[in-house]
Amino acid sequence: MSGGGTVAPRRPPGGGRVSRRWLVALAFLGPALVLLGAIVIYPIVFTVFRSFYDRAGDAFVGMDNYQQMFASQRTRTAIKNNMIWVAVAPAIATGVGLIVAVLAERVRWQTAFKVAVFMPMAISGLATGVIFRLVYETEPERGLANAVVTTVAGTFRSSGEYAGARPSQEDALQPAGMGYLTADTFSPGDTAPLGLLAIRPSEVPDSAEEAVLPQAGAGELAGAVWLDFSRGGGGERGVPDPTEVGLPGMRVEALQAERVVAATEARADGTFVFTGLEPGDYRLRLAEANFRPPWGGVNWLSPTLVTPAVIAAWLWIWVGFAMIVIGAGLAAIPRDVLEAARVDGASEWQVFRRVTAPLLIPVLLVVLVTLVINVLKIFDLVLVIPPGSVQDNANVIALEMWRVSFGGARNQGLGSALSVFLFLLVLPAMAFNIKRFRSERR
Amino acid sequence: MLEGVEKVYPDGTQAVADLHLSIGDGEFIVLVGPSGCGKTTALRMVAGLEEISGGQVRIGDRVVNGVPPKDRDIAMVFQNYALYPHLSVRENMGFGLKLRKVPAAEIDKRVEEAGRILGLEDLLDRKPRNLSGGQRQRVAMGRAIVREPQAFLMDEPLSNLDAKLRVQMRAEIARIQRDLDVTTLYVTHDQTEAMTMGDRVAVMRKGLLQQVDAPQVLYDRPDNVFVAGFIGSPAMNMVQASIETSNGATFVCLGDQRLRIADELLAARPALAAYEGRKVVLGIRPEEMEDAACAGENPDDRRLRATVDLVEQMGSEAYVHFSLKAPPVLTDDTRELASDVGLDDQLERRGEKATTAMVARVSPRTRAAKGDSIDLVVDTGRLHFFDIDSSLAVWGDPDRAATTTTTKT
Repeated sequence: MSGGGTVAPRRPPGGGRVSRRWLVALAFLGPALVLLGAIVIYPIVFTVFRSFYDRAGDAFVGMDNYQQMFASQRTRTAIKNNMIWVAVAPAIATGVGLIVAVLAERVRWQTAFKVAVFMPMAISGLATGVIFRLVYETEPERGLANAVVTTVAGTFRSSGEYAGARPSQEDALQPAGMGYLTADTFSPGDTAPLGLLAIRPSEVPDSAEEAVLPQAGAGELAGAVWLDFSRGGGGERGVPDPTEVGLPGMRVEALQAERVVAATEARADGTFVFTGLEPGDYRLRLAEANFRPPWGGVNWLSPTLVTPAVIAAWLWIWVGFAMIVIGAGLAAIPRDVLEAARVDGASEWQVFRRVTAPLLIPVLLVVLVTLVINVLKIFDLVLVIPPGSVQDNANVIALEMWRVSFGGARNQGLGSALSVFLFLLVLPAMAFNIKRFRSERR
Repeated sequence: MLEGVEKVYPDGTQAVADLHLSIGDGEFIVLVGPSGCGKTTALRMVAGLEEISGGQVRIGDRVVNGVPPKDRDIAMVFQNYALYPHLSVRENMGFGLKLRKVPAAEIDKRVEEAGRILGLEDLLDRKPRNLSGGQRQRVAMGRAIVREPQAFLMDEPLSNLDAKLRVQMRAEIARIQRDLDVTTLYVTHDQTEAMTMGDRVAVMRKGLLQQVDAPQVLYDRPDNVFVAGFIGSPAMNMVQASIETSNGATFVCLGDQRLRIADELLAARPALAAYEGRKVVLGIRPEEMEDAACAGENPDDRRLRATVDLVEQMGSEAYVHFSLKAPPVLTDDTRELASDVGLDDQLERRGEKATTAMVARVSPRTRAAKGDSIDLVVDTGRLHFFDIDSSLAVWGDPDRAATTTTTKT
């Protein structure tokens, strides 16, 4: 519009030209104004208007919708969750994006790496939601998250192969923690039969062979651990019968005065032998590790973990965005400034902290604020990932607005009030970004 | 102290080859050469910003090949100043000291002192973006000075300044260096800077060191065609010539003209005798020619006749560009020298016509004008001769010839 002013000196007295100039201006601005008005201004004004009316839009109810909104437990959970989102998600995304961007600069296949990290941005939020719904499946066989967690945990704390087994003769083997300890003592030369029950045949390793009770050689303490259960019934308790199989891999420990002095593993036929034991009395123990039940992993979509889980999915998408924008900021820092700092005596960390980071602050702020706006409006992931039963726990304002307006209640008055509230929350962040862009242009 | 340093980039480009350069305490060494000759790479290897592919760099007694830049105790001035944009002038200069945990009072003292030396007292609290180019350059200098390092490394620090400021800063840097007495390695492509600032000047070409000498030696006794053509402005004229003797006098023939070589020059260059009847490269500095009309009496056998192409009046002197009917020198050296000033295509064209473009610096009172024929008197005691194949200067001093051949490969 200021362009009109430049012809001002040539304007003759009288208003004839003024109206013409206005007409020209209107002709140029008209289409944009109409579009903006129809798809931006009008919906906003109408929504504000609508928020003062009841569910059907017939009766004016004043501030009732707003009162009801803040009175509702669901809305309060939504506001609380939104606050968690705003406080946590953008900061982590920016931080991780910064780290990834800095490290990516040093990677040989920088571009390929960046593309890989950025890729999730290309996937629709809904599809991401579906993907992560699967990732968070509780069964380790189906859910990637639990598969990873249980595998990692398994390497530190292996679960036993014979979880749930119990002795065939309860007086011979007594529970000791999760393992079992013989009631009797044995000496070198003795043979110890250690029969177990309650192991499904499918759980017995394929390598298992027919169980035998070995003869102990001189100075040896021998024995057998086997599944003391004959298929089709029959068989004698405490003695390996022909159809019974050994329990290979079972860890057997020899104890003297409550201390483990030797340990061995059962062979395929269930036999085990301790050699080189001092003469004396020993008790045998089937180690706890044999019977430890496998760990089922984490219930990611439980009420307490569902919000962090959805945030993690969101991060998967948006770290790529943060990385690309911050990476561009990094590239804009002159190389020689960093080199100057190195020559000046800065270690790599000091270069980062005292030069790179301060020079990146404007970029980091823009990324952070952009992500805050994004997070305030978060909707799709929260709709898709949490199962219906925990949706109330994962609720956010945008989702609540949708549920109230178009879910069972169809209360569009309340829904409008919620969207007005969300709009007010986003405004300051928008104002900040616009101000930044303006000052940058200067 | 550089010993056989070389740099090979991963793509196989050899930027610096077998560079030996020993720099004395407090000495001001200028590395000069056309762009892409490896001088900046060499400097960056000393700074530790570039990995060293071979050889050793020593600072003092310490081999610093694997030492990160921060532990080398050197300060560097960058071409684009590389000031920290987010820090004030004061903080920029104190940055290195702060990292070394020097007490704040000491930092202040040194920064104020450097500010005083450089005339930056009133600007200490400004940000770099509010400074002019010359002021930024001073801050970059100040940042190096306050560190009191073992050596200054300067990478074309004046190339971003306008001509007037450059002359001023040139003198200032030289003065500061002399006052502080800090060993300095200075990289430039400007031979005027090299000549005026350096205690010694190292001329590089395509990663190879050509000659290291005091500026005047470089000018008087260039080791090869490249150094001869690079040092001096306007550049030395090079032309193909041959040596002849008749009546006990030695002549150099350029096309159909000939100049009698002064006896003292023959004495200084005994090896010239061996070139009798052979082709050589004759070098004549523009300032060793004079318009015969402006000179006193001069014998005919010291004159060249040529056609004037252009006369540039500078006030204190005049440059007469003329064409001489003699074939130009077409070797890698002269091609590179020509391309450095953007005249490579002209050199080739001349080659076809067997005329050589030359410049003479004559008295401003010359009456010569474009298209005229001019007689030029040549100071035949100061002619330069080079072997046409090896490009090496013809002296006859075997030691000197030997040392120069090692730098050529």
